[in-house]
Amino acid sequence: MILDELKAAVMDGDAEQVAVLCRKVLDEHLSPVEAVEQGLIKGIEEIGRLWTEGEMFLPDVMMGADALKVGLEILGAELSKAKAAAGDTDRRGRIVIGTVKGDIHDIGKNIVSAMMTAAGFDVFDIGYDQGVDVFVDKAEQVGAQIIAASALLTTTMDEQKELVEYLKSKGLRSKYKVIIGGGPTTQGWADGVGADGWAETANEAVALCHKLLD
Amino acid sequence: MSKVSLKVLTDEDVRRIHEASMKLLEEVGIEVEYEPAVRILQEAGLKADGRRVFFDPAYVQKKVAEAPHDFTLYARDPRHNVHIGGDDVAFVPGYGAPFMIEAGGTRRLATWDDYLNLLKMAHACEEMDLSGGMLVEPNDLDDHTRYLDVLYAHIRYSTKVPMGSSYGASGARDTVELLAPVFGGKEMLQEKPVVISLINTISPLKLDVRQTGALMEYARWKQAVVIAALVMAGSTGPATLAGVLAVQNAEVLAGITLAQTVNPGTPVVYGSASSITDMRTGCVSIANAESALLNAATAQLARFYGVPCRAGGGLTDSKAVDGQAGYESCLMLMSPIASGVNFILHTAGILQYWLCMSYEKFVMDAEIAGMLRRYKRSIDVNDNSLALDVIKHVGPGGHFLTQMHTKQNHKTEMRKPMLSDRQSFEGWAKDRLTTEARATVLWKKLLDSYQDPGLDERLQKQLQTYVESRKKEIVK
Repeated sequence: MILDELKAAVMDGDAEQVAVLCRKVLDEHLSPVEAVEQGLIKGIEEIGRLWTEGEMFLPDVMMGADALKVGLEILGAELSKAKAAAGDTDRRGRIVIGTVKGDIHDIGKNIVSAMMTAAGFDVFDIGYDQGVDVFVDKAEQVGAQIIAASALLTTTMDEQKELVEYLKSKGLRSKYKVIIGGGPTTQGWADGVGADGWAETANEAVALCHKLLD
Repeated sequence: MSKVSLKVLTDEDVRRIHEASMKLLEEVGIEVEYEPAVRILQEAGLKADGRRVFFDPAYVQKKVAEAPHDFTLYARDPRHNVHIGGDDVAFVPGYGAPFMIEAGGTRRLATWDDYLNLLKMAHACEEMDLSGGMLVEPNDLDDHTRYLDVLYAHIRYSTKVPMGSSYGASGARDTVELLAPVFGGKEMLQEKPVVISLINTISPLKLDVRQTGALMEYARWKQAVVIAALVMAGSTGPATLAGVLAVQNAEVLAGITLAQTVNPGTPVVYGSASSITDMRTGCVSIANAESALLNAATAQLARFYGVPCRAGGGLTDSKAVDGQAGYESCLMLMSPIASGVNFILHTAGILQYWLCMSYEKFVMDAEIAGMLRRYKRSIDVNDNSLALDVIKHVGPGGHFLTQMHTKQNHKTEMRKPMLSDRQSFEGWAKDRLTTEARATVLWKKLLDSYQDPGLDERLQKQLQTYVESRKKEIVK
């Protein structure tokens, strides 16, 4: 059964297998909506559940998220068409995430990005050493609701403040929720720079996004 | 060779790790983001593709062989000169934490007051061989110029050897400019290293602009550098420890090769802060059996290349001065001591994987360092220590408490603890002080015992003027 196979491939973090199966979905004119909702998403949900129970680890989550993305890319066009035909739109929250300018430490950001993907958000990862304008341009382009900025160094934390200031200067501050994180950051720092939220761990970051988009 | 010598790798293991690193250096190369470094390595005959530099193994080995086996760091007060290498170990306070954790567990941002307290404690604490580097981040000072305040404070308030800024070539230049007048000019520095600085690679397989700029500047002035990799098993390196060592070794050797290319004979220390990733949260875990093994393996690799070694520390993932902090820190200091590491950064004060400092933890770690310094001295076996005469004299069933041999030998043979409680239960039960509570009393006493070594007033003015003028340029 292809839906079970899709779910299993995501759980195995096997992007190649996901690609093969998704192409089969297209070739055989199976329902892309079902393939996503009853296959791919089931896999990532199961990973999330097992992760919460301590049965799965970061490589499982991150590779599962990557496999999911591969599947969504292949099915993307057909999925939109099918949803449009059914009068359904993609209601998943959209998040732009990146590591701020001057900072090349992106492991933490990558983990948060994967956990957000696994939690069902549509995540646009702009990478590391990115200026505030890149964050905002991307958010504008994809219609994000949340901008997430990571910094590991005390010398680059100021960029998080800069991001809030930049949004204000462009008259876009109320359009986005800004969340920040990274080793030296704190709730106090987040409050001080006028961010909408802060989280210490990837898990808390996901919970924060759910809360902000509620 | 010290009698205490732990090995966790066979000679064959070391050779295989070496060969793996050579393959990485030659075939994958190192991404060098600092243009002048790429240039000088190309001029030396190495191939590069953009910023990716491919290191020829023969060249690496030739250059690494030019690094000194050991060296002395010269202090403002010669009594604090430190020998780095051989069988010696230097204990150095914690470095770079942005937070303080207070007794009881409150975490807050570190301030300039904390900085000065820790600096004075490092100077006053017998177990600390250097005054340290960025003891904590003084968050209340401008982050672009605080390294200048910090350097000035080390020179002003301590006569122990400080660690320099690795805030780019300019940070290194300022470090040299500030220390030169204290030691009779820059020419004198070429003869005698007076500062040692921490240069970190970016794992996997990268050298960044700032650290590499500082590395080259220090090499130019023949000032000592620790070139350290922090490979996290499972995230910035493979999950397997042998693979972590292969990556770490390639990065550190690339750094040493660069330093010796800039200025042959530059004193370098082979450094490792490699550790593991907590595979559930992605957090670094710096105190565990695997990291302790990596420390010992690092000592073996450094010995293989004939350079001094940095690894370990009073490290813990704990957020309080508790049992976990104690057992983890002891493991992470014991392993490098037992394996012959020469330079132990982060010896004292660290909590929560390098993110926090604690005054209580500082003195608890100093106690561990003191115990381990004694441990490293091992057991002297000679006529006096075998004590046959006094054993015969006391005979079966007697006691040694009133023997002259006991009175003469116990103080050097047995270290007196500063912090550990050895009282009877009744004695302890009067106040029931925990380790943390006793540590609060002890660090305050240590800080009180600090004596200002002074600094010539003209020199103070000269250094202050330099700091102020540089601040104006930087803030501009």
